[in-house]
Amino acid sequence: MLAALAAIPVLIAVAVRLSSTVPPGRGPAFLDRITQNGLFVAVTAMLVAVPLFLPLTIGVVAGDTIAGEASLGTLRYLLVAPAGRVRLLLVKYAGALAFCLAAPITVALAGAAIGASLFPIGPVTLLSGDVVQPPEAALRLVLIAAYLAVSLAGLSAIGLFLSTLTVVPVGAMAATVVVSVASQIADQLPQLEWLHPWLFTHYWFGFADVLRQPVLWDSFASNAVLQAGYVAVFGALAYARFVTKDVLS
Amino acid sequence: MSAAGRMAAGLTIETQGLTKRFGRQLAVDNVDLAVPHGAVFGFLGPNGSGKTTTIRMLLGLAAASAGTVSVLGQPMPQRLQEVLPRVGALVEGPAFYPFLSGTANLRRFDAASRQGMPGTRNARVAAALERVGLSHAAGKRVHAYSLGMKQRLGIANALLSPRELLVLDEPTNGLDPQGTREVRSLVRSLAADGATVFVSSHLLAEVEQICTHAAIMSAGRLVAQGPLEELRRGGEMRIRLLTPDAGTACEVLLRLGMAPERGDAGAGISAAGISAAGRHGAVGHEAGTHRAGSAGPDGEVVTAGAAVAARPVDEAAGAGNPQQVLPKPDLPHPEDIVAELVAARVRVRGFSVERESLEERFVALTGEGFDVAQ
Amino acid sequence: MNRAWKRWVPAAAVPAVIAAGVLAGSIPARAGDPLPGKSPAGVLTLLGQHSTRTFSGTLEQVSELGLPDLPAGAPSSGPVSAGGPASIIELLTGEHTARIFMDGPAKMRVQVMDRLAERDVIRRDHDVWFYNSKDNSAAHLTLPAFASDLPLQVPGDPGALPGRNGSGQNGPGREGPVPDQSTQAFPTPDDLAAKFLAKVDSSTAVTVGPDVQVAGRAAYSLELAPRTEGTLLARVVIAVDGQTGMPLKVTVSARGQAQPAFEAGFTSLSLAAPDDAMFNFAAPPGATLKELPVPPVPSVPSVPDLPGKPGMTAPDQDPDRVPGDAAELRHRDGPTPTVTGEGWETVVGFAAAPDGQEAQLAETVLKDPLLSQAAVVVPGGRLLSTSLVNVLLTDDGRIFVGMVPADRLQAAAGTA
Repeated sequence: MLAALAAIPVLIAVAVRLSSTVPPGRGPAFLDRITQNGLFVAVTAMLVAVPLFLPLTIGVVAGDTIAGEASLGTLRYLLVAPAGRVRLLLVKYAGALAFCLAAPITVALAGAAIGASLFPIGPVTLLSGDVVQPPEAALRLVLIAAYLAVSLAGLSAIGLFLSTLTVVPVGAMAATVVVSVASQIADQLPQLEWLHPWLFTHYWFGFADVLRQPVLWDSFASNAVLQAGYVAVFGALAYARFVTKDVLS
Repeated sequence: MSAAGRMAAGLTIETQGLTKRFGRQLAVDNVDLAVPHGAVFGFLGPNGSGKTTTIRMLLGLAAASAGTVSVLGQPMPQRLQEVLPRVGALVEGPAFYPFLSGTANLRRFDAASRQGMPGTRNARVAAALERVGLSHAAGKRVHAYSLGMKQRLGIANALLSPRELLVLDEPTNGLDPQGTREVRSLVRSLAADGATVFVSSHLLAEVEQICTHAAIMSAGRLVAQGPLEELRRGGEMRIRLLTPDAGTACEVLLRLGMAPERGDAGAGISAAGISAAGRHGAVGHEAGTHRAGSAGPDGEVVTAGAAVAARPVDEAAGAGNPQQVLPKPDLPHPEDIVAELVAARVRVRGFSVERESLEERFVALTGEGFDVAQ
Repeated sequence: MNRAWKRWVPAAAVPAVIAAGVLAGSIPARAGDPLPGKSPAGVLTLLGQHSTRTFSGTLEQVSELGLPDLPAGAPSSGPVSAGGPASIIELLTGEHTARIFMDGPAKMRVQVMDRLAERDVIRRDHDVWFYNSKDNSAAHLTLPAFASDLPLQVPGDPGALPGRNGSGQNGPGREGPVPDQSTQAFPTPDDLAAKFLAKVDSSTAVTVGPDVQVAGRAAYSLELAPRTEGTLLARVVIAVDGQTGMPLKVTVSARGQAQPAFEAGFTSLSLAAPDDAMFNFAAPPGATLKELPVPPVPSVPSVPDLPGKPGMTAPDQDPDRVPGDAAELRHRDGPTPTVTGEGWETVVGFAAAPDGQEAQLAETVLKDPLLSQAAVVVPGGRLLSTSLVNVLLTDDGRIFVGMVPADRLQAAAGTA
């Protein structure tokens, strides 16, 4: 799964390398900067991965947490061991969170690596027009990855909850991905504007604020609060469901 | 279980009014289990009779709709964290991570328990694998295991740490005869070590061979439980009598409190099948009727009666009468019956006592065959 | 069973706690000591005296003018709209955020936060830089000495940068690169307050409402309400910082609309001097670079005596614009507009001119799919209606603008 994520920046970098110049302003943001600076491969890849690829992998991981064990039948042996239902849930969620962190970092690392090998690396122009040196730019990349990891925490909690509802892991995975896509669509509908600040995908693209000078932390903070809310709500739901669940598989 | 049961204090598993409802369906209905300490307890019942559901409730996997469960003297599932480390379980077949080796699977399950001491984990895993004879395949991935090997690995998982109670759900499923024998001896050795073993099975022979106690489930209800000997005795005992003086014999047997039944044993021999209800009146009666029906075409009886004793009776147009009697607990001993018959000038040409096997009892209690209960 | 229900308690309690928290948070906090009571005149004096030139803050602008929203993805994913009407609408709809850093009159930086992009204007003394991250373009301008204290407040619409797209079609306000004429894409509360206060006369009732909290600061609430019913404008509320007199927030309400039609205010504000490095700027490597000509002298007087009031965009597209500011309009090129009505009811008419920029503007507006979608056909022309301003484009090419109901525009068109 991480390998698939790492393939995204590689694909972008190779495509940009093979094609002629990218006209500015076309394609995903930052795409035109890649030829000037390989570090932008990482930024572009993360941007491209946010709407679908990252939620997809998170959906697979989070949807599999409980339902996967249930479908294998190993859930009953873990519970009889006894793992303790709350502890098992926490461990599983911690695993999903670890993946949330690993996934964007993988994209960033792979992007920086392939970018460095195919394009020049130099000072990076931020959105504000200021220029930072590569070490500072690398720090910004890490910040973006952290932002995305936080962004995905809410989705993981949703996936965890959905995973406690079923013994069919594919169902929980698909449902998680569908939820993320539905939330993004709802975020685009002006008719649902009142709902937008409550959607867990609302701040997903706010990671660009990390690329401003000085860093705009507002969206980072809002996003963290929002995601914490989702984690609390769906964590509580997952707890209630899993602790009262009859394990019959 | 009454106050007397509690006072015995030797109950490893005790349930009271245990009930599980799935929607409208009653999977387990008011079950009062009592598994004495140190017993090898056979939990019998056809598929779908609620055995596994009961086991899930014993282990806290499923919540009871009503009733209470106590395991190792502690209420479940309230004290689950204290009870389960002392319980080894194989529930509804083994389940493993197919892409991990047998060793890795066991280590993972052991690590799942807070009580699993990491220091001794390697040694305990190796010992458990050794005990079920899987050492040679310990490093293989589980998806390459045969069903029997998985079953053994499942038992090994139950034996990872010293247990006071082992709950084995169909432990010999998928095992070859050699493996079945090994499991039997394993269960005996575990019991010899002082553990209580709760074995569910639909294979009666297995239970009969290793168990000291048994309980029988049918359609969610507990229909019988107790020490194995008592269960066997609770079944019907019949005597089979071969005689030309059927009428007199019936009178004698009636006088002795039995319910004689004259039956035609085939081969032209008129027979009287006599049966009497056992402790479970209605059930016994049904079963008795049933036995009488099948006694007729029973070749062995006919051959014995006709060949040796019945031929002269044929000419006398009399009857060779195999008679079946189930003695009530206070009924006379078989030798007294014969003495009474002889004293009444009944020519006893054949006399035998038949006890029901546990299998017959099982069928008697749960219905014919191993049909899945509706 | 009872046990099972207890497990669901947290699942119900967490949303309840969150809801309670949100409700509690939405109640305006009454922190600190109440401000000393002041009369409207007192607040106006406080406001007029303010000389806050050193601060950094985040501005948020929300428009509810009733124009169709742009698809949220459009600004970043589509090709740069280069200052066409789309970007104007973009600023007139939805929410926008900008950061402003100021250190005295000569050092300033404005960052307009776009989705995955940013537009910057940086000024240090006579050097003014424009930067747009969308197409990585930078422009530089050296202010002439006479303009050294010119309060450059707001970044130009990047598309309005000269030379990018031919200035003609962008309307009169966009012709020059002069900062004061650049589109006021992001009016500060200060600008807006000045603009509205300039309109205050006998036709306006000025009152002081209960104190408010803006960006964590206690502020007077100065309310301007037209005395007439004949305008779409219902009320303008200016939050005036109790300490400094600086306008913190301007809320413009339209008649018959619960939500403010337009609101611009600080969400955070610090009166400490920003890091001086904020005002350093050099064109980043790889950026397309333009050197802008020195602003023409005549444009300078077009900034009226109000400080902090740059020029306007085309009148029909600027919500904060108060139409009928004839003094201002006279500075524009093209035919002299006609003015009918008084005060808040003023209607400004632009005559048709084949080569006039208004006509071009009308053409541009009508060609734009989003705007033409918003415009409805009415007797005598087409009407672009917002909750605050109505624009009538007559069939013969004239344009009438006013903060008045549509029938007043039609009447004006009929008599003119």
